[in-house]
Amino acid sequence: MNGRPEQFSAQPNELLVERLRDGLGLTGTKVGCDTGQCGTCVVQLDGRSVKSCLLLTASAAGSRVTTIEGVTERGGELTGLQEALRQEHGTQCGFCTPGMVMALGELVENTADREAPTEPEIREWLTGNLCRCTGYHSVVRGVQRACSAARAELPEEIGEGAAVSASAGSAASASASASGKEV
Amino acid sequence: MTAVTGDVPLQGSGLLGQPLDSREDPQLLRGEATYVADIDLPGTAHMAILGSPVAHAKILSIETKAAEQLPGVLKVATAAEFTGVMPLPCIWIPGGVESHFPPHPYGLPGARPVLTGDTVRHVGDPIAVVVAETPRQAAAALAAIAVEYEPLPVVTRADEALAEGAPQLHEAVPGNLNAYWTCGDKDRTDAAIAEAEVTVELDLVNQRTINSPIEPRGAVGDYNAATDEYTLYASTQGPHNHRFLLSALVLGIPFNKLRVIAPTVGGSFGTKGYLYPDMALVLLLSKALGRPVKWVDTRTGLMNSTVQGRDHRQHVVLAGTRDGRITGLRATSYANLGAYPSTIGPGVATALMGRSISGMYDIQASFCEVYAAFTNTVSLGAQRGSGRAEAAFLMERLVDRYASEIGMDPAAVRRKNLVPKEKFPYDNGLGWTYDSGDYQLNFDKAMELSGYADMPARKAEARSRGKRLGVGIATYVAICGVGPSTRMSKEGMLGGTWESANIRVHPTGEVTVTVGSASTGQSHHTVFAQVAADELEIDPALVQVYEGDTLKAPYGQGTYGSRSYSMAAPAIALTARKVKAKLVKAGAVFLGVPEEKVVYAGGKVYEDGNEENAKTFSEMAMAMWYGWGLPHEIEPAIDETTHFDPPDFNYPFGTHVAVVEVDELTGETEVVAYTAVDDAGNIGNPKIVLGQIEGSITHGLGQALMEAAVYDEQGLLVSSDLTTYALPRAADVPFFTLDKTTTPSPHNPLGAKGAGEIATVPPAAAVVNAVVDALSDLGVQHIDMPLTPEKVWRRLRGEAE
Ligand code: FES
Ligand code: FES
Repeated sequence: MNGRPEQFSAQPNELLVERLRDGLGLTGTKVGCDTGQCGTCVVQLDGRSVKSCLLLTASAAGSRVTTIEGVTERGGELTGLQEALRQEHGTQCGFCTPGMVMALGELVENTADREAPTEPEIREWLTGNLCRCTGYHSVVRGVQRACSAARAELPEEIGEGAAVSASAGSAASASASASGKEV
Repeated sequence: MTAVTGDVPLQGSGLLGQPLDSREDPQLLRGEATYVADIDLPGTAHMAILGSPVAHAKILSIETKAAEQLPGVLKVATAAEFTGVMPLPCIWIPGGVESHFPPHPYGLPGARPVLTGDTVRHVGDPIAVVVAETPRQAAAALAAIAVEYEPLPVVTRADEALAEGAPQLHEAVPGNLNAYWTCGDKDRTDAAIAEAEVTVELDLVNQRTINSPIEPRGAVGDYNAATDEYTLYASTQGPHNHRFLLSALVLGIPFNKLRVIAPTVGGSFGTKGYLYPDMALVLLLSKALGRPVKWVDTRTGLMNSTVQGRDHRQHVVLAGTRDGRITGLRATSYANLGAYPSTIGPGVATALMGRSISGMYDIQASFCEVYAAFTNTVSLGAQRGSGRAEAAFLMERLVDRYASEIGMDPAAVRRKNLVPKEKFPYDNGLGWTYDSGDYQLNFDKAMELSGYADMPARKAEARSRGKRLGVGIATYVAICGVGPSTRMSKEGMLGGTWESANIRVHPTGEVTVTVGSASTGQSHHTVFAQVAADELEIDPALVQVYEGDTLKAPYGQGTYGSRSYSMAAPAIALTARKVKAKLVKAGAVFLGVPEEKVVYAGGKVYEDGNEENAKTFSEMAMAMWYGWGLPHEIEPAIDETTHFDPPDFNYPFGTHVAVVEVDELTGETEVVAYTAVDDAGNIGNPKIVLGQIEGSITHGLGQALMEAAVYDEQGLLVSSDLTTYALPRAADVPFFTLDKTTTPSPHNPLGAKGAGEIATVPPAAAVVNAVVDALSDLGVQHIDMPLTPEKVWRRLRGEAE
């Protein structure tokens, strides 16, 4: 659990999200629905994002679980993705935010060694996470920003080839924020 | 009280208008914010609510014995337990009554009790509560409560509830009519319609929708027997207002013994400003059990208990000349109030909608009548853009219908009828006086930015791909800045609608701002610090903002109707001016020059013409704290408060253009471009407002395309979770093209107008107009929302609605 071993016994019908919030006090993971639709409860299980309200605690035994608390320390420095979301104001009420960060973390981390995701890809990736406040625009721009930042840090030969496709993404981002600045 | 007009020029440092990063964001991004479900007081017990499974029935008996004996159960309570508790007040009683105190229980037939004892009136109507050691135990015990019902006939539509022989909801309200409300000039309007060259009519359904903040509601009650004080933590957008309603009007406890705290709130969009039974129940049960009592709703629970929105059935008529001049407008609306009058629901369905129907147009004869009826559905309340969105929808649908009738371009008709710039302030004949605006400029900008002139070519190109491209325009005026107290009293609002702010300057030069407003995601801490820092010309990092706790902050009605920046922020700016005035007075003493020679600028006081003789803000703060050498008439310390009650509302406006492509084969509608030019007056933080505009438009698109609260004939809410109630997802929306015009409001010192929700007002109309445009050659003149693929597919095949 967030890099530390945790040992406990769970009821057979206990959901992972209940264990996280009520049992371990990791309240950064949120509950927004009762049907697995909203994505506020997303955590990473062995590096893959999963909805912790759809998972029995017992089935996570032996896996690496990362919650939002495991992404950054309390008051600690933001990750590249979080920083990009901050710059684009990708969060308003913030209730969807931890789930978004957990779901998007997987996408952004994996872009370093492949083509940066396109806008439709990012939107598709976000399909499991509902946000009522932002309408997703600032979140999508945040991901575009995070991906270009991640690629800018790559070794020269990958980074340069990548710069072309990354700039397509950031051009969209730039025009959106340029018109945004007007408002 | 301070009534100020904008002719006092703003003397800021230029910080306002800058897109400062939100200081709330890092905490939210790290998942550190505390929402109500995250509050864990020692010894907390957990409450669950038994809601009625049927929409309308007499309760014959409730058996709770079995539930009481289940493991962990501490208490099971029914209505019998709370007979001394008053029903939940409705504080917006339309009809123009002058307010009276106490407003309760007068004028409230049908008010909702904290638990229902005799008759249930909608699915989810709370009947009993269980408190147990754990949430699971409480929920499990609900199943062991046996209730015997005698079913009664059900009605879920407002027009049907008013018909002869309809099921009756409340004995005290024969015929189910809560209010018949009108505005405008009926005779003049009828005459204009009778004499018109052209009239067009539409029957519209503005479907019921569910606001769906992503955080469900929740409440924690904590009674302290030692001090006889109550604390309520609730997911609320108006802690002060809830304190007033709960203490004085429901529980009958002294106002100063109840503290209400809004922790971080996960979205609201109007719904969390209402008083709900759970808020009273957690306090009552905490007192009964001597422990904190916590309740957190589920999504399905939210959908069956939290106020829903829109829900009008309307017959609307527009009169005009053959050459495009609108001469009359009449609307008859049947508004569905649900089973009980919610806190301000009746006002939303009447005044907020009716007085806005003519929008940005100069119409000499308008009239609106609303029949607000009770039905066996969840109570009606506010919803992002509420009232204004319903108004814009009817008007903008009518304008398109009229344009097609006279064979004129819809943009040209609109342009011809916009209120001209010279006519402000403009009395719209329906009860509002628009403060300021340049509608032509705004409209032209939107037409240009959207590439409206190129649409014919784009239509042809789309057709070659099997898509029908349609374009739809919608304009709007949104009344914001609730509100001027006297004006609101005439509207029937019972409660102080002003807003206040306090500024304390600490000896070290840091500043604390407290406001009555309470954010539900609008970055108040960032923006309010920006306002204070701008006016005091200091670094915003020195300013800390507190809100959302009735013990720490001065009174304010809270955040709703896009009022924080045009109500709370002016209170802050005016308070900062008081601080500056005091610093000038005291500065004269410390600088040793007469007061007329003291200047406050750049975050310091100095002698006019001799900037060497100066004291910085923090030096002054320390000097004022010591108070040494101050003459008797100057009090030491710096602690100022303002109660801001504006002379009138403010009226943001705008023009939106939707471009859609309808798939010939599937009936699917895709929004391919969306342009919005909004005018929210002077904007404090464009980054924050941008986010609100984008979210608002997306919300509006949701109503147009996919959202609907659907009740079956038994009154069961069929769309009661997120698998059956569709919300827009990231892939459903494109990036928008956004711009603004700026017409400051004269009604507050910042020149601000409401911004938060205004962009939710026009999208539904713009999208429906666009789809109807795409299908116009098939003779389609209207399609009811939501525009599901099936509905559109049928119309593509010539089926009637
Ligand atoms: S809580 Fe909504 S998906 Fe898990
Ligand atoms: S920021 Fe409020 S739900 Fe996403």
